[in-house]
Amino acid sequence: MVDRFLKDSDLAAVTAAWARDFRVLAPVREGAAIVYRLFSEDMHPFLLRPPTSSAKEAILPQTENLFTYKYRKDQDDLTRTEVFLAEALPPEPTLILGPRPCDARGRHLLDRVFLERGVIDPQYKAHRAATLFVTVACTSMQNTCFCHWTGGAMDDESGSDVLLHPVTIGGVGGFVAHAVTPAGEELLATLPEATAPMLEKLAERRAATPEPEPAPDLSDIAGSFLAMFDNLDFWTDQSARCLSCGVCTYLCPTCSCFNITDENYGMSGRRLRTWDTCMSALYTLEGSGHNPRFSRAHRLRNRVGHKFSYHPREFPEAATAPSGLEFSCTGCGRCIKSCPVAVDIRQIVLDVLAAAAEKAPDKVGGTK
Amino acid sequence: MASNSSASDSPDRIKTLRAKIASELPNVDFVLGYGRGFDPLHATPVTVRTEKDLDRLIFDPTCVQNLATSLYGLRGKRLGVVVKGCDSRSIVQLLQERLWERENLVVFGLPCEGVIDLAKLRVTMDIASVKAVRFEGSVRDGKVVLTLPEGERELPSAGLLADKCLRCQHPNPLVSDHLIGPEIEPQGAQDTYADLAALEKLSTQERFDFWKRQMGRCIRCYACRNACPLCVCKHVCLADSREPHWLSAEATLQEKWLFQVMHALHLAGRCTECGECQRSCPMGIPILLLKRMMNRELKELFNYQAGVSLEAVPPLHTFLMEEDRIKDRGLLW
Amino acid sequence: MNANNPYIPELATIIETFDETPDVKTFRVVLQDPAKMAAFRFEPGQVAQLSVFGTGESTFVICSPPTRMEYLQFSVMRVGELTHRLHTLKQGDPIGLRAPLGNHFPHQDMRGRDIVFIGGGLGMAPLRTLLLFMLDNRADYGNITLIYGGRTPEHLCFKDELKEWAARGDMRVELTVDTPGEGWQGRTGVVPAVLTDLAVRPENAVAVTCGPPIMIRFTLEALGKLGFKDEQIVTTLERRMKCGVGLCGRCNIGEKFVCVDGPVFTQAQLKGLPQEF
Repeated sequence: MVDRFLKDSDLAAVTAAWARDFRVLAPVREGAAIVYRLFSEDMHPFLLRPPTSSAKEAILPQTENLFTYKYRKDQDDLTRTEVFLAEALPPEPTLILGPRPCDARGRHLLDRVFLERGVIDPQYKAHRAATLFVTVACTSMQNTCFCHWTGGAMDDESGSDVLLHPVTIGGVGGFVAHAVTPAGEELLATLPEATAPMLEKLAERRAATPEPEPAPDLSDIAGSFLAMFDNLDFWTDQSARCLSCGVCTYLCPTCSCFNITDENYGMSGRRLRTWDTCMSALYTLEGSGHNPRFSRAHRLRNRVGHKFSYHPREFPEAATAPSGLEFSCTGCGRCIKSCPVAVDIRQIVLDVLAAAAEKAPDKVGGTK
Repeated sequence: MASNSSASDSPDRIKTLRAKIASELPNVDFVLGYGRGFDPLHATPVTVRTEKDLDRLIFDPTCVQNLATSLYGLRGKRLGVVVKGCDSRSIVQLLQERLWERENLVVFGLPCEGVIDLAKLRVTMDIASVKAVRFEGSVRDGKVVLTLPEGERELPSAGLLADKCLRCQHPNPLVSDHLIGPEIEPQGAQDTYADLAALEKLSTQERFDFWKRQMGRCIRCYACRNACPLCVCKHVCLADSREPHWLSAEATLQEKWLFQVMHALHLAGRCTECGECQRSCPMGIPILLLKRMMNRELKELFNYQAGVSLEAVPPLHTFLMEEDRIKDRGLLW
Repeated sequence: MNANNPYIPELATIIETFDETPDVKTFRVVLQDPAKMAAFRFEPGQVAQLSVFGTGESTFVICSPPTRMEYLQFSVMRVGELTHRLHTLKQGDPIGLRAPLGNHFPHQDMRGRDIVFIGGGLGMAPLRTLLLFMLDNRADYGNITLIYGGRTPEHLCFKDELKEWAARGDMRVELTVDTPGEGWQGRTGVVPAVLTDLAVRPENAVAVTCGPPIMIRFTLEALGKLGFKDEQIVTTLERRMKCGVGLCGRCNIGEKFVCVDGPVFTQAQLKGLPQEF
């Protein structure tokens, strides 16, 4: 596939052209946040920094209809009712502009849950098939980024349909647009080909980009976590600062937990699927009042455990990270960057490894 | 890891803080203080259980969090907590409302010249590239020196101070068992509610559009609620209640907005404007405006400010047959 | 289950309701489509999501056995929003049903063995399914003992059946309550004490238990003392569930999901999981 060039100054027009065929979600700056909004002609997409939210809203909306229901009273016997169900409408073709490679990789991890774990989620599947990712490659790593711990990279293509590599040549800013999938190639069909000097310039820039500090060896993390599972003091200390809010889970490109609730309007209504967060005490509160994860320590433990122990244990064949494990984390760092109290999941993971090694120095170690 | 230093992070003060905390460790389950977060611009709350944790303690203008927020969730323990002047007002309010018992709390008070608002910095640069921070001169009119990949950059610290610091009247903790001085003269300007006035100049439609745009970003993570030291309903919050069913699970504008309005109303006369709700919002929604709106009303009607006196009763927790500033239109009932 | 969309319930109709205890009501339902009802298959211990459209869904064990398919039976304690609404429904009302969900009691492995049922409160519901299934295949099993406890005699579920079972002669029924009322002829005391008292023998036996967490804890202790191995103890867990098909996340214990990998586990299996119950 030929690489093409998308000039900064053409970005709005090209996006507008895409918006004729797709529902386009594009990032815009609003105050200190960079948020995805439905594209309109007066918008200029902001691609210079990673968006505040992850791209998962494109394929797993915060709220969506599972179905609608309608009650009808029997006119001859008003004490009798009938109920009718109607499936949700299929999703519109969608294009999300501006995710980062860590977001795009998140698609594979959502697939594990919704397509590969067991039951296929029809709505997710439809969203997934209807959505294109036009991803922006990173040119540097922020101090919250750790994609390379999880097998990702600043220019990782997986999960993207198009990867835009920022490049400036002769004072003209833009992107070398690289189609990853046939659908991506179609999107780029009208753009001019990238010239040899552009590609050279890009190659130079990529070669000059400093390598991140080597990722720590996480090959023991799944077991170390389990070894530390019952040490509630450890988790209490890790979570004493945690506010139990949903910032980390809602901004995460891979967190997939959801709630199902009914919204009733008289004789009809909808059953909704809504993002949920394992940080909330209500998430596991049972009707009897019993709650298996009643404290913040239990809940933070579950989040870390799910990403770095339960997931790799559930999908042992799927190794993608340098440690030989697949984590339910792409290292985007949003949970760190946006946490009101600066909880750092990297540090927790390292603390788990260190504490487990201390507990059983012969069995688990920080290094292979 | 990069180092921070500043006037308020003087080695003496930190030494005193550590010593005072060490002296209380046998009397408490643990102490909540500040440690360095993942980068030099971020502090993070830390728990000090033993003397070996003392080294982690820091105090400087990056210590933005209000540690009083964690208290309510830790009821039943005997805790120490490190507070700035503004944070101490939350403690006063918690004690006043009997949401915490004084005898189970050891307060380490730190007079504070001000903290920085990362949102203000974020508008000017990619803060995730900052490698080190130095505070030179006084916090209020000195400078912040940032080490960036391309070199050092100096910014006047006044431009980075949190808004609440610019109008701070209580830099010295109002309640403390160990005051780690020296005390500071209040330097904050009189609060003129200029931010509210600017908003109120807009037409109703413009204001509506303003809030629509702002609330449109909300992801309903409830960081605002959970970061609030006085928002103590937490998991029996009306936002989560199914019966009565105040809020729909739909992430619509009216649901998001309704929650913020209810939050503001519930905090009328209780909110100390610590600003944690707004600071915690990952989407940068200016929700403190709503609380300030309520507080201005409370000030006008009852001449009341929350969290400054242990003896006071919040005006909406009591009533007078006749209020000085509320005309009852002379009607009897 | 809807083959195309696991979230869409089958429509069902309540054909009968009656009170078990002051806060437990039993519902008998049939799928509205007779062909689907005729084709409905499940195993003892599997659960269903019952929908009251407009209120939501909750998980309940199908407490009638697959050997009696005139209807599906559910016994529901009034505790939360959904169960309050369910309790207001009457014969003829429509509900939604997603079933069967989850795994089931390993009844194939129990053939030829002595079975000890140990239940508390509404924990009797899943035991009832398996017990009736076994009674309907009585020759396949050894001695059957039921130890069942409740707060008061009034709080015991399936009272008529308890009498029938006690009168059968081919099983043993031991009832116990915390607070006996007038005329109570059974035992007084907690379930684990009865277990110890009866000195139930572990040889070639399987214990099947379900009840409140505190009862389970002491029952496990008592069974251990009697010599039951973890592999001989089968229990069924309650967890808050939403999707019922392993996707929504909340019912996980480590990497297992109670709605798919459970709700039935042996004590040996549970010991291999992170201890978060």
